[in-house]
Amino acid sequence: MPTFEYDDAAHLLRRMGFGGSPKQITALQAMGLSGAVDHLLNFQKVDNSALNSLLDASFNFSHPYKFNDFNIDEVKRWWFTRMIHTARPFEEKMTLFWHSHFATADSKVDNPIFMYLQNQTLRNLAVGRFDDLLLAVAQDPAMLVWLDGVTNVAGDPNENFAREMQELFTMGIFDVISGQPNYTQDDVHQIARTFTGWGFYWPNYNKKPFDLVFAIDPNSHDTGPKTIYGVTANYEGQDVLQIVAARQATARFLVKKFFNYFVYPLDLATSQDQQTVDTYANIYLTSNHSISAVLEAIFTSDEFFSDRARFALVKNPVEYVVGSILLSGATHNPGTQVYVGDAAVVQSLCDLMGQELLNPPDVSGWPVGIGWINTASALNRYTYADYVASNRPQNTSDAGVFLPAKVLKAQTKTTAVDTVANFANLLGPLPLDSASQANLVAYLTTASDGSTVDFTKNNQTVDDKIRGLVHQIMCLAEYQLN
Amino acid sequence: MTLTRRQFIKTGMGSVAIGLVMPKLLLGGTRGGASGASGAGRKILVIVQLAGGNDGLNTVIPYTDPNYYQLRPNLGFPQAELVDANGQSTIITNQLGLHPSLSEIKSLYDQKKVAVVLGVGYQNPNLSHFLSEDIWETADPTGNSGEGWLGKYADIALAGATGLPAASVGGLLPKAMFSPNVVIPSIVDFGSYNFLTDPDHGDDSQDQLNTFLMNGGRNLTPGSLLQQVNQIGLNAVNNALLVQSSVAQYSSTITYPDDNPLAQAFLMLAQLLTTINELSVVYVSMGSFDHHSDEIDHNGNNPVRSTGQHATLLGWFSQAINLFLQDLGQHGLNNTLIMTWSEFGRRVQENTSFGTDHGTASPQFIIGNQVQGGTVYGTQPDLSNLDQYGNVQMTVDFRSIYSTILQKWLDVDSTEVLGTDNFTRDLGFLG
Repeated sequence: MPTFEYDDAAHLLRRMGFGGSPKQITALQAMGLSGAVDHLLNFQKVDNSALNSLLDASFNFSHPYKFNDFNIDEVKRWWFTRMIHTARPFEEKMTLFWHSHFATADSKVDNPIFMYLQNQTLRNLAVGRFDDLLLAVAQDPAMLVWLDGVTNVAGDPNENFAREMQELFTMGIFDVISGQPNYTQDDVHQIARTFTGWGFYWPNYNKKPFDLVFAIDPNSHDTGPKTIYGVTANYEGQDVLQIVAARQATARFLVKKFFNYFVYPLDLATSQDQQTVDTYANIYLTSNHSISAVLEAIFTSDEFFSDRARFALVKNPVEYVVGSILLSGATHNPGTQVYVGDAAVVQSLCDLMGQELLNPPDVSGWPVGIGWINTASALNRYTYADYVASNRPQNTSDAGVFLPAKVLKAQTKTTAVDTVANFANLLGPLPLDSASQANLVAYLTTASDGSTVDFTKNNQTVDDKIRGLVHQIMCLAEYQLN
Repeated sequence: MTLTRRQFIKTGMGSVAIGLVMPKLLLGGTRGGASGASGAGRKILVIVQLAGGNDGLNTVIPYTDPNYYQLRPNLGFPQAELVDANGQSTIITNQLGLHPSLSEIKSLYDQKKVAVVLGVGYQNPNLSHFLSEDIWETADPTGNSGEGWLGKYADIALAGATGLPAASVGGLLPKAMFSPNVVIPSIVDFGSYNFLTDPDHGDDSQDQLNTFLMNGGRNLTPGSLLQQVNQIGLNAVNNALLVQSSVAQYSSTITYPDDNPLAQAFLMLAQLLTTINELSVVYVSMGSFDHHSDEIDHNGNNPVRSTGQHATLLGWFSQAINLFLQDLGQHGLNNTLIMTWSEFGRRVQENTSFGTDHGTASPQFIIGNQVQGGTVYGTQPDLSNLDQYGNVQMTVDFRSIYSTILQKWLDVDSTEVLGTDNFTRDLGFLG
């Protein structure tokens, strides 16, 4: 692409993160495209000490057996705090991506320690080699409970993980392009045997409750030869994961998921999109399965900046919730415990919108696209928008989301037309059609008795109509898209 | 009961829940014309979840079983205590009696409007609340399915319907109502099921709503993502306005006590059912049955069985059901079927905290004018033959209740919802 404009930088930040302020977008634009992608993607270089200080002040996870300090809602509050306050948005975005990919729910795992550890694993290995991520997730306690690894024993193999690992985590049942089956039921059964005896234990629960150790129980592990994908050998589970991670079917499957999540929905009936998949699948295969190599290519591609990609995705509830705070300039105070004050507002409204973090509906994860919007979830989006727009700061120590008047006043212009344009820019930038612009201008110039009045920038207007304008823009269909 | 917006937001963490099944199509301006949706032919199904694991053995009490008293020296109700607050016996058979708080339920039982199904559970019981709930809600013994049993029913029977054929009230949508094709919204309370605007500027509220509706009414490229999102959002707000205007028509001589939260939830159901003609499946969840401690009151070490958390909840349940049925009856809605469920019962042996731990199968109630009531169905589990964890063995597959209702009340082939596994398809409580 020829030049890296402000709108391009905003598009990149919405997709690789949750959006940002004009200042952040301008700074990103100044880095140029490759510099901006490098900055977001290679986030290890970015100082995140402000977030870490906030986390230290807002959470006490040192004694996970103290329920009020540590429970699944606290882990959610911790993750939302990260997403809202991080200087490394892509780190959290990829953690969210992998959470939906390796969808694991506390509803069955029923242990916040395991869920917390899996979240750390997803974050730590988010952009490394896919093989390493796959193995670590497979050996984490959360997955071993979630897909019944702990009851998978020699002689009576439980196929749950072996099946879902192939179907949902790596290749899919059928090849993304050729449509040919990637494996058979025999493969599922034989692969399940390689994972028999996989489990974990706590060496010292009382002193180190977060230190769990993966182990294979020799008494329930099947060491016999297995025939997998037509080859017979004494395979171990680790071998299988490496073999699967190296298959072209896996490369294609991952690229498809990356595109559907970060770029645009692919139409794999077209040769153009088939070629697109293979272009990036080849990068995966020739880069030693480097996730960051594939993503760097995708985020600097013509496809990513094409017209087809702009506002082609539906914001998921987390993007809606976190992004609305970041774009509007609202403050967020995580509080100190989830059940105190409004500390739970962000996560409980996200639940109501249909995305209960750490509790995806099933192993296939959350929907993408239009599936996020229905007549129930849409209303909850508008309620959250109203909450953000109209919640006025009371006491600086209060937990929750607040939109200060001075933030709004600074963005208010002297005319209604300019004010609408400026807030549409701030909350996107959103491309508004003339009808919605006219409706919003009319809103700003309508008094409570229905009469038309002049727009005047003053504290009263900011407190009344500007908060209403923010709410209205966040309710627009345009704002639901990413 | 008007919740403030702030309370609504906090309620998102869970508690009492009511849900609505709405079709994905826009609600039309005319409602109530759907065939069979109103008048004598209209059938209503009400699901009541007793969340947390209701103590079945202290709900339907085996007062002649010495094992019950041996394992529950404090919690076990002696026969002499099976008497309600009015001095009426709550004994229903020569072996079983209802908890004394279930006064109205006992009266309905005597009127043959209540059937008790004994020993309801599933094989290989899991004592996790969540997995057990998933199994009940999806009717999938593995708990791996993402679709609810009522959601599957909605897909079959309600996908093309107009109006509001189903609903849930109180909190998050129950998994039982998860459906890929029919949108079933959950209404926390009517105050928040609306297009909410800045509470500090109520005078701007109409202008806000008008602006939203203007934007929702824009002409956008048909079939585009933007147009689809815009249309669904407009439908959502129109649905909410419709519910608001419908429930505003409600009037009744029945008073639902403010201090009974379940009665307040049933009031919401009555407001919906009496004003929205096509509404046929509704859901409400009542929490706090997880009585690991202080299930009954006690003075020091002396048990006081007639009061306590469990007695309070069952009393609320009994009162709410009775008021709700009276209310619906006064509105001519006499074809109403209520079923209860709970993810599990509780351990037979009481613990040392005047409570009980997670258990397995438990009895459930089927209530309504058309129920072949005044009798028990299934077999009471044998308390001398417990499993390795000290829990009862199920005698009735929970899916048998579902299939009976699907076939005899909802008029669909139960295999379409529940598959072809082998269990009793008709328990007979609907004739």
